[in-house]
Amino acid sequence: MSRKERYQNRIELLQGTLDLLILQTLRWGPQHGYGISQAIRDNSGEVFQVDTGSLYPALHRLEKQEWIDSEWKVSENKQRVKAYRLTALGRKQLATERSRWKQVMEGMAGILNPSGEENKA
Amino acid sequence: MSFRDRERREQELDEEIDSHLRMAEQDRRERGQSAEEARYAARREMGNVSLIKEVTRNIWGGNWMSALSQDLRYGLRVLRRNPGFSLIAVFTLALGISATTAIFSVVYGVLLRPLPYAQPEQLVQVSEQSAQGHNMDLADPNFTDLRQQNHSLQGLAEFSAWLQSVSGGSEPRRVMVATVSSDFFPLLRVAPVRGRSFAAEDQHPGSGAVVLVSYSYWQQYLNATQDLSAVKLHVGNDVASVVGVLPPGFRFPENADVWIPRELSLPLPSRSAHNWQAIARMRDGMTLAQAREDLGAIAKGIKKQYGDDADLVGAAVSPLQEALTSSVRQSLLILLGAVGFLLLVACANVMNLLLAQAASREAELAVRTALGASRSRMVRQFMAETLLLSLTGGVIGVIAAFWGVRWMIALAPPETPGIAGVSLNLPVLFFALGLSLLVAVTLGTFTAIRASAGDVRASLAEGGRGNAGSFSTQFIGRSIVVLQLAITLTLLVGAGLLGRSLMHVLSVDPGFRTEKIVTVDLALPSAFENDLKIRRAQFLTDLFGRMRALPGVEEVGGTNALPLATGISSNGGFATVNPQQLTPQVQAMINRAAHGDLDKNPALMKELSDFFGQLFRDPKQGGYADYAVANEGYFRSLAIPLVRGRLFDDRDGADAPHVAVISESLAREEVWHNQDPIGHTIEFGNMDGDPRLLTVIGVVGDVRERNLESPPRPTIYVNYRQRPQATSHFSVVARTAGEPATVIASARKIIRDLAPDVPPSTNTFAMIFAASTNARRFNLVLFGIFAGTALLLAIAGIYGVLAYSVARRTREMGVRMALGASAGNVLRLVLSQATVTAAIGVALGLAGSFVLTRFLRTMLYEIGAADPLTFAAVAMLLFAVALLASYLPARRATKVDPIVALRYE
Repeated sequence: MSRKERYQNRIELLQGTLDLLILQTLRWGPQHGYGISQAIRDNSGEVFQVDTGSLYPALHRLEKQEWIDSEWKVSENKQRVKAYRLTALGRKQLATERSRWKQVMEGMAGILNPSGEENKA
Repeated sequence: MSFRDRERREQELDEEIDSHLRMAEQDRRERGQSAEEARYAARREMGNVSLIKEVTRNIWGGNWMSALSQDLRYGLRVLRRNPGFSLIAVFTLALGISATTAIFSVVYGVLLRPLPYAQPEQLVQVSEQSAQGHNMDLADPNFTDLRQQNHSLQGLAEFSAWLQSVSGGSEPRRVMVATVSSDFFPLLRVAPVRGRSFAAEDQHPGSGAVVLVSYSYWQQYLNATQDLSAVKLHVGNDVASVVGVLPPGFRFPENADVWIPRELSLPLPSRSAHNWQAIARMRDGMTLAQAREDLGAIAKGIKKQYGDDADLVGAAVSPLQEALTSSVRQSLLILLGAVGFLLLVACANVMNLLLAQAASREAELAVRTALGASRSRMVRQFMAETLLLSLTGGVIGVIAAFWGVRWMIALAPPETPGIAGVSLNLPVLFFALGLSLLVAVTLGTFTAIRASAGDVRASLAEGGRGNAGSFSTQFIGRSIVVLQLAITLTLLVGAGLLGRSLMHVLSVDPGFRTEKIVTVDLALPSAFENDLKIRRAQFLTDLFGRMRALPGVEEVGGTNALPLATGISSNGGFATVNPQQLTPQVQAMINRAAHGDLDKNPALMKELSDFFGQLFRDPKQGGYADYAVANEGYFRSLAIPLVRGRLFDDRDGADAPHVAVISESLAREEVWHNQDPIGHTIEFGNMDGDPRLLTVIGVVGDVRERNLESPPRPTIYVNYRQRPQATSHFSVVARTAGEPATVIASARKIIRDLAPDVPPSTNTFAMIFAASTNARRFNLVLFGIFAGTALLLAIAGIYGVLAYSVARRTREMGVRMALGASAGNVLRLVLSQATVTAAIGVALGLAGSFVLTRFLRTMLYEIGAADPLTFAAVAMLLFAVALLASYLPARRATKVDPIVALRYE
């Protein structure tokens, strides 16, 4: 029973993060799915490997929430690609997500680097 | 999201993933990988494409229709992959659903379909209630009082219907003629589609006879004529004008074709002459209880006022539809219950199949669960599969039911009310659909619960090889078989009881012979007037004479009350009277009555019934007996033995002293004070309006007249030469030397000569005899089919469960045999399991039967509902059959080769 819960929590955390990463990536302009995954990988110093199995469901979910929209374009390589673009609603969401992430970071930092802890170590 | 939208999005998703792959591939090639390496690496990185697509699709959500269609498509694939299972499951369900649908269509058509009249829920049947609690038809004065004094009815109508010969149309026909009182059509709210209904001037004695005819009679025998004024019909002794044509389909009561106003003849003054059925329409807002109370109070008032002259103690009011179908209601509901049991057994079989199938799909289900299929998703999937099974089964079942219904209508006793209206109509189809859905949901829920209760990791570790199946799976499988056996046993016991009842009925001595007898039924006009009486007696004498002269005819007779045939027998009071003790006034009264038409003289009739009525009620002086008109040839033809005295003969002419022959059971009654009844004189004029005393000249054997099941009733036979008047229904019987059929054509020709307006109905007595047990046969055949089918299914069930369990235990058997178990040990092991299962099933079934067969009680004859012999025989049969069915799998277990079984791993 306990194992199951932990498994689900991890998914949730990943999903939240992935949404933020996608929205952040799209801030620099429209991009297709492959481009997004490459951008996340490159910008994270190849730390984050975006699982394609999560990326497309995430893109479609964000599109459904109208944070991003999409159109078919022809790429530099003369390929038809589906490009995603941040919407106004998406921009607002990005701001919210960023501030939430900041809170998480601060909270995490507070826990990981408490003054007392440092003394003990 | 429309289907088209969805299709476009599917395409776009495909294209999107494709372009992703191409770009990844291209990047890798640019980094210097070979084309092939690049393609593989890109694909590897991408992972399971169809899973990605599936998860993405789930994000769209979309409508339940597409989710359902996806489930159904998957279900279809699963079912196609396993055609043997699917076929058996579909066929089994089709069997159950078709039988249930067919029976339901009869139940609906006969019992449930609303009567085709306006506000049918207001229509009721009204009867008098006897002290014994029986319903009796109404007597005229009681009808009048009920009609005039009630506060709960909009109208009360009395009516009666019998077969009459009606001529004047394109050909003479035997048709049902209904005599109806003035409220009849208004309360049914039925109006003629042509012409007019009865008017007040048609509804009193002496007014010119008028009739209404049915739409079908008008079309077939009146050539759908527009000018009704030209049509005159001979009905009985009347020549009637046709004033109107009733709407198509209206044939109430009893498929009538002609309706006559009841008021043309005078009401009888007797309060105990129960001659009329009655219907009523309750006032708006009036409940059945209120109507019962109202009419009951009036009936009690009548009883109080008239004492012994009235034999009613109350009034019965029942919904008309219920009253019309009361004769078949119980047996139909029992059949519906029985077929419901069959459906349960069928479902149980499919349940076991699904259980076995679910077990062999454990690996697949585990994978799906591991891949994240939610429990609800799995339940939906199972629902989709069982829905496919049961809907396919339902469609096949309905098609089969179509034939089943036709077959049942042909098999059902033709007198079954409303049987003609039975069909697979919309309500029945809805029922079938609902039934299929119910079956699907039940089976789907069951399998889903079973399947999702499994442990994913264990199943995955098993790798789908399967072992003996978990204890609980086996336990549930066996429990299902136990229930199947129990239900089957109940059905078999029911069929057994019905079958033995029929055998008892058929072994009854009816008191007459039935072989090689031709019957010729005639619907004649009544003959109560003197000249009509003389002509009728002459007609019958001529008829007997000419029939007797036919080659191949050994004996000819006739009666108005042919056993098993007429369905109606007149019955009334008689009294033993010593003529010496009659006062001159009474003698004079009898003489006056004997030479006039009593029907036309109510005052005299009242005098007579007042005088004799009290004698009937005194058991020392009189009693009640059936009335039959006959000739001596009747007894000889049917081999009804003469016990004492003599039969009628030519000495007993119209002017000779009137004579009677009585039945043995009457001769035993105490009214004779232990003396030989021969030579005694009796008064029985109540029955035919002739109060002259009858001298008993002979005693004949008892006859089961009404049906084979009722004990013979005391009967008084009078001589047709002296009393030919009550012969409006007359059956001529001819005993033939050879095949009766050869005589029929000649007999018809004789009738055509002597009475061209009287179309005869010919038959053989053997056929009439067989038809008298039609209802019993119908119930037995259906019950037998249900029980037999359930038995087959149960056999398949126990065989399947054991075979499956043996197959899954191959390894165990191999180990056992490798360790030295003999074939006998293994055989015993499997058989002992089967024995326990069968024993529990049989025990449970016996207990269930004990409770349920009491509902059959009214359909049984000379056998208890808990007849030990039937119970024991059926239990043994089922037990033996169950063991036989388990022998095969058990044998297979002994054939397991230990080496093969172990290497199989």
